[in-house]
Amino acid sequence: MNFTNILVKILLHLMAAIYSRIPSKRQYLKSADGWTNFCIGIRTENRSVMAAVRFNDGRVSVMGSIPEGVDSVLIFRDGKAVMEALNLPPNELVMFLTKGKLRIEGNFAYPNLFNYYVSVLLYKKHLGMQKKLIEEHERQKQADSMKGDSGPAPAEKSARHGALRAPARDRGVKYLSDPYLSGYSLSDFPRLKEFLDQHFTTKPEICPERALLMTRWFKENGFEKRADGTPWPPELRQAGAYKYMMEHRRPIIRKGDLVAGTSTTKDIGVILYPDAHGTMIWGELNNVPDRELNPYNISGDTKRVLHRDVFPYWTHRNFREWVREEYDNPLCQRIDERFAVYFLWKSVALSHTIADFPKLLRIGTKGYIGEIRREIAKTSASKRDKRTLLEAMILCLEGLAAYAKNLSKQAAAEAQSETDPVRKGELLRLAVICDRVPEGPCETLDEAVNAAWIGWVGLHMENTNAGLSLGRMDQWFQPYFAADMAKLKSAKKREEYIKKAIELVGCFYMRCTDHLPLVPDIGNYLFGGSSSDQAITLGGITPEGKDAVCDMTYLFLKVTEMLSIRDPNVNARFCPGVNSDAYLRRLCEVNLITTATPSLHNDKSVMSSLKEFAYDIKDLRNWSATGCVEPTLSGKHIGHTNCMMMNMVAALEMALNNGRHPLMNWKVGPETGAIESGSFRTFEEFYRAFTRQFQFLIDNSVELNNMLGKAHGYIRPTPLLSALIDGPMKKGLDVTRGGAKYNSSGSACIGLADITDSLMAVKKLVYDEKQVSLPEFKKAIDANYQGYPELHALVMSRVPRFGSGSEEALAMAGRVAKFAHDAYYAHKNYRGGRYTAGFWSMSNHVIFGNMTGALPSGRLTGKAFTPGLTPEPNASKNLLDNIRDVARLNPRHMNNNIAFNVKVVPSASDTHEKMVDTMHSYVKTYFGLGGMQMQMNVVSSAVLRDAMVHPELYRNLIVRISGYNAYFVTLNREMQIELIERAEYRV
Amino acid sequence: MNRTVKSEVNQSKNEPLIFEIKGNSLDDGPGIRTVVFFKGCPLSCVWCHNPESKRRERELSYDKKKCVGCDTCVGACPEKALDRGLPGFVNRERCSLCLKCAEVCPSGALSAVGNRMSVDEIVREIEKDVPFFENSGGGVTLSGGEPTLFMDFASRLAARLKKRGVSVLLETCGFFNCDTFMKMLYPHLDMIYFDIKLFDGAEHLRLCGRPNDVILANFAKLYRKYRQGGTEVLPRVPLIPDCTATEENLSAIADFLRKLGVKKIGLLQNNPLWFEKNEMLGRSTDIETGSMRAWIDREKMERIRSLFKGIEIV
Repeated sequence: MNFTNILVKILLHLMAAIYSRIPSKRQYLKSADGWTNFCIGIRTENRSVMAAVRFNDGRVSVMGSIPEGVDSVLIFRDGKAVMEALNLPPNELVMFLTKGKLRIEGNFAYPNLFNYYVSVLLYKKHLGMQKKLIEEHERQKQADSMKGDSGPAPAEKSARHGALRAPARDRGVKYLSDPYLSGYSLSDFPRLKEFLDQHFTTKPEICPERALLMTRWFKENGFEKRADGTPWPPELRQAGAYKYMMEHRRPIIRKGDLVAGTSTTKDIGVILYPDAHGTMIWGELNNVPDRELNPYNISGDTKRVLHRDVFPYWTHRNFREWVREEYDNPLCQRIDERFAVYFLWKSVALSHTIADFPKLLRIGTKGYIGEIRREIAKTSASKRDKRTLLEAMILCLEGLAAYAKNLSKQAAAEAQSETDPVRKGELLRLAVICDRVPEGPCETLDEAVNAAWIGWVGLHMENTNAGLSLGRMDQWFQPYFAADMAKLKSAKKREEYIKKAIELVGCFYMRCTDHLPLVPDIGNYLFGGSSSDQAITLGGITPEGKDAVCDMTYLFLKVTEMLSIRDPNVNARFCPGVNSDAYLRRLCEVNLITTATPSLHNDKSVMSSLKEFAYDIKDLRNWSATGCVEPTLSGKHIGHTNCMMMNMVAALEMALNNGRHPLMNWKVGPETGAIESGSFRTFEEFYRAFTRQFQFLIDNSVELNNMLGKAHGYIRPTPLLSALIDGPMKKGLDVTRGGAKYNSSGSACIGLADITDSLMAVKKLVYDEKQVSLPEFKKAIDANYQGYPELHALVMSRVPRFGSGSEEALAMAGRVAKFAHDAYYAHKNYRGGRYTAGFWSMSNHVIFGNMTGALPSGRLTGKAFTPGLTPEPNASKNLLDNIRDVARLNPRHMNNNIAFNVKVVPSASDTHEKMVDTMHSYVKTYFGLGGMQMQMNVVSSAVLRDAMVHPELYRNLIVRISGYNAYFVTLNREMQIELIERAEYRV
Repeated sequence: MNRTVKSEVNQSKNEPLIFEIKGNSLDDGPGIRTVVFFKGCPLSCVWCHNPESKRRERELSYDKKKCVGCDTCVGACPEKALDRGLPGFVNRERCSLCLKCAEVCPSGALSAVGNRMSVDEIVREIEKDVPFFENSGGGVTLSGGEPTLFMDFASRLAARLKKRGVSVLLETCGFFNCDTFMKMLYPHLDMIYFDIKLFDGAEHLRLCGRPNDVILANFAKLYRKYRQGGTEVLPRVPLIPDCTATEENLSAIADFLRKLGVKKIGLLQNNPLWFEKNEMLGRSTDIETGSMRAWIDREKMERIRSLFKGIEIV
C-alpha cells in the first residue's frame, strides 16, 4: 500500500463520517424525492490508488475496491495526479480532463455531484486556492504583456461612430437619404447607452426558472411514462411541460425597454438545460461566483433548488447518459469524453438553425394553429405519430401565445402605476402589442420586433441557447418598416420615425444579450468567451436573385456600429455583381469602428459550396449564417451546422504514432505503420496513414452524432421549432427526427493550416530533399525540438506553407479539405441528411492546440493551432498571399463554410477614409477571387497586450475568435496570447 | 579576367539586381501597391532606411536574431570568413560573396541580398497582385535604391506595366540626368515621389555623399512640367532627428517649394530600425548617428507641420 492510496482513503473516510453523522451535512444527501444513491470509484491507471464511495439511503461508506455496477469511476493518470487533485478547487479538477491527467468512465453527473459534496466541506479552502490561482495568472499576464516589440504608441481608436456618408443609394433603399446614417451616434440614444452600460457592469446570474418549472411538470406527469403507466410520446410530453412552463414563467418587462419579455428572471441570466449539459455545473455551484473566467452569481435559493429539486431528476435523463445506456458506453462516446480529438456539440444542443420568422410575423400563432388543425382534419386516425406531433405543436404555440398575454397584462399593470407620462405611453403600447402578437399577424415594426423577440424567447425555452440563430432580420422587418413609413407624410415625421426605428432595433439587440449559455469551467477553455452566438444575417440577394440590401440593412448596420457588442453575431452577405460598392464600403466601415464585426460572406461562393445538395434555388438564395458562419436555408433546414468540432491534427499525431494518441496515451486508432521500424517509404504512404486515422475519427464522430441525434428525439423533441420550420407539419415528424424540408449535419474541421504545413514539411524535408529521415524527424518532434535547433530552423525557413503563395502547399490544403469533405459527405445522419465539412474553429484551435504535442510544421508543444483556416503567421509577410491562397480553395469542399481571420492594424497617420478604402479593397478582391468568408480584427497587438493587464479600460473591446465574437478581457490567457500572436498587417 | 565574367560585369551596369518585391504596400503611393526595390544608389545617406539598396552588387546579410548558432555555415565557408569572435560574425574583407554559407544556413540568418531578374520575371511576379490594384487604385512603385540608375531597364519595365494597364509610380532621390530621364522613363510614369532631404549643399554632400544642385534643379524642372499638365510630382522629406528634421533645413525646403508653387508634400516618419539593418550588412559609418535613431514624438511632429504652412501635408 502506498502513501497516496492511504491518504485518499483517510480523506474519503473523513468525508463519509461527516456526511453520515452531522445532520446539517447529511441533509445534502437527500433530494426532494428521497435519498440520492450512487457509487463512485477513484483509481489510478495502474490501480496504485483504488477506492470507492457509496452513498446509500443517507449513509456514506468507503470501500477499498471498486464494486461491479459502480456509476462512475474517476481514473487518474498516476498517483502524482491524485496528489495534485487534492489541492485543487472543483473547477480546476475538471481541467485535468484536458491535460490527460484524468478520465471519467461512466455517468458524468455523479462525479459532478461528488465534487459538489467535496466543495460543501472545503468551500472556504477552495476559495483561497482559487484566489491564489487568479493572482498567479495575473502575474503571468503582466509578464506576457511586457513581451513583444516596442514601437510607436498604438494608434488611437478611430471615431466610435461612422464618419462617411453613403456615396450612393441602393435600389432597395427607399427612405434613407444617407443610408450610412452618419448623423446618428450613441449619444442620441440615452436608453441604449443605459442598457449598454448595464450590459458591461451586470454580473450574470444562474436562473433556475425554466429547469424548475419543467422538472415540476415532469415529476407530476411523468417523463418515461404517464401517470397511468402508458409510455409518453416524447413530443406530447415535451409540449405539455413546455406549455405549463410558458404559462407560469414570470412575465417581465425590463425597466425602460421598448421590447417586452425576458429569457430569464435575472437581468442577465444563465439558462439551465438539465436535459442537456445542465448537471455539468453541479460540482461548481459553490465556486462559480468566484471563478476566474465568466463568473456567475448564484443565490442560495437557486443552489438549493438545483441540488435538491432539479439535478437529481436528470442524472440519467440527458442526451449523454441516454446514449451511454442505450448503446452501452460505446467507443465513439469514450473517445469524445477525453476531449482531445473531437467534441460533439450534440451533447449540448441541436439548435443551430433558423426558424421561419417571416411566417410567424405574417400569420401569428393563431394562423399556425389554424393550419395545423386543418392538417389534423386531413390526417387519418391511423397516423397516430403525426397526429400526436400536430397536437404537440398546438400546445407549444398556445404556450407561446399565453406568455405574450401575460406580458400584455404585466405591461398594463405597470402602466397603471407609472408616473412618467412618456413611459406610461410606452407601457400601454406594449400592452396592446403583446395582446395582439405573436398570436395574430403583425402590422407595424414595433409589433414585428416584439413578436420576433417573444418567439425568440419561446424557442430558447424549448432548445439550448447555443447557436440558435435569427436569420435575415433586415429582410423580414423591412415590410413593416416600409408600411409604417408609407403612413408618414412629412419629412420631419419620417426622420423622427427613423430614429425611433434605430432605437427599437437597438433594444432588440440588447434584449438578445439578456441570457448566456451555461458554461461549466471546462467550457471557458473549450469555448472561451462565447455567448449564445445568435447570428443575424444582412444583405445579399432575395429568393428571386435581386439585390436584397434595403433600409433595414443599413439600420441594422448602424445599430451594430453603435452598440459594438459581441452578440448578436452579425454576418453580412455580399453578392458580387449584384450588391453595391457603397454597401460593401459601409460593411468595412462598421468593421473598422467595431474592430471585429460584421463577418463578411461572398454569396456566390457560399451558394456554390452547396451545389451538390441540389437545393431549390429560391431556398438557397435565402440562406443565413448560423451560430458562427455556417449556412442554413432559412426556415426550412435543420443543418445542425455545429454538431461537432473535429481536431484534424489528432489524426496526424495518431499517424505519427501508429494509432496511439500521445496525450491520451491510448492506442485508439488503427495501426497504420510505425515510423521507428521504417514504415512509409514514400510520402504517399505517410499521407495515407494520416487519412486512415482521419477517416477513423470521422467515422466515430459521425456514429456518436447519430446516437446523440436519436437521444434528442427521445429526450427533447422540439415541437415549437417543428411548427416554425417548413416540413414537419406535412411529414408528421419532429425536426429532431428529420421532419424539416432539408436535413444535414455540419462539422468544423480544425487545424487545416497546421496539417498542411506539417504534411509539406514531411514531404519537402524527408522525401523531396532528403534533408532528414522520418525517424529522426519524429525524434525531434517527440522532443519538442529540444536539441534540434537546426532542424527547427530549417522547418521554419524552408517549408512552403499554406498562405505563402506556394502552389504545392495550396494543393495540399485543397487535398486535405477534399478528403474531409468526401469522408463526411459519404455519411448519412440520423435524419436522412448528409454531413458537411467546415473549416472554422470557434476557440477550439486553442484548447486542441494545448492538448497537442509538437508538429512537423515546427509548431511547438501546447501552442494554439491557427484559427479557422487562417494561414500561420510565418507563412508570408504579405497579406495578399494569404488572401489569394484562401480564396483559391474550392468552396465545394468547404460546404459548412470557413473562418478566415485577418488582423489588420491602422497606422496613426491613416485617415478613417483611407482605412475603409483599404479594407474594402482587400475584401472586394478576395471575393472577386472566389473567397467565401473573411473576418477582420482591426486592433494591434500592442492594444491587446495593454488590455491583458488593464481589462477595466477595455471592457467593450470585441475580437473575432473564429466565427464568433468575444470580449477580449473575458478570455482565458491562452486565447489572449493566441490573438496577440496572430500575424498582423497594417491597414 | 575571362570573357564570361567580363560580360557579366558589363551587363550588370545596365541590369539591376532586385533586392525585394514587396506586395501590399500602403505607404508608397495611392491604393495597394507592389514595390520593386532596385539595388544601387548614387547617394549614400547615412540614415538610409534600406542600406541593402546602396551598393549595386550582391551582398551577404547576417541577421543575428534569426541565427540558431549551429555553425553549419562556418564549415561551409571556403574563405574562413565566418568567425563568432567578430561583432558582425562575417569578416567582410575575406568574404568572396560565394554565398555557400547562405545556401546551407537552416534559419535564413545568412542570406544573399539582390537577385538578377528579367523584366519578364518581375512582371510575372507582379501579375498576381493586379486584382488588388484594380480594386484599390493602386499599382507598382519603382523604388530602391535608385531606379533611374538603370534607366533602360526601368523604362522597359515601366512600359511593360503600363501596357498591362498597371499604374507606375517612381520613388527617386532626384540624382539623374534629366534629359535621359525625360526621354526614357518619364513617359511611362503616372506619378513621381521625389525626395528632398537637405537644402544646404555642403550638408548634403557630407551626409548623402553628393551635392544637391542637380537634385534641386531636376525637381524644379519636373514640377514646372507637372504644373503644365505633366505627371504629378510629390516632394517628400524624410524626417531624421538632428539631421533633416531641423527647423533651419525644413524652413529652407518649405521656402523653396513655396516658390515653385508646390501644394502638397509628404513627410516621412523616421524608423530607427534602419540601424539594425546596417549592422546586418556589416556597415559602419564615421558620422555620429546616435540621435538619428529616435522616433519623432507627437509634439515635435506638430511643430514640424507648422513649418510647412500653406502646403498640404499628405
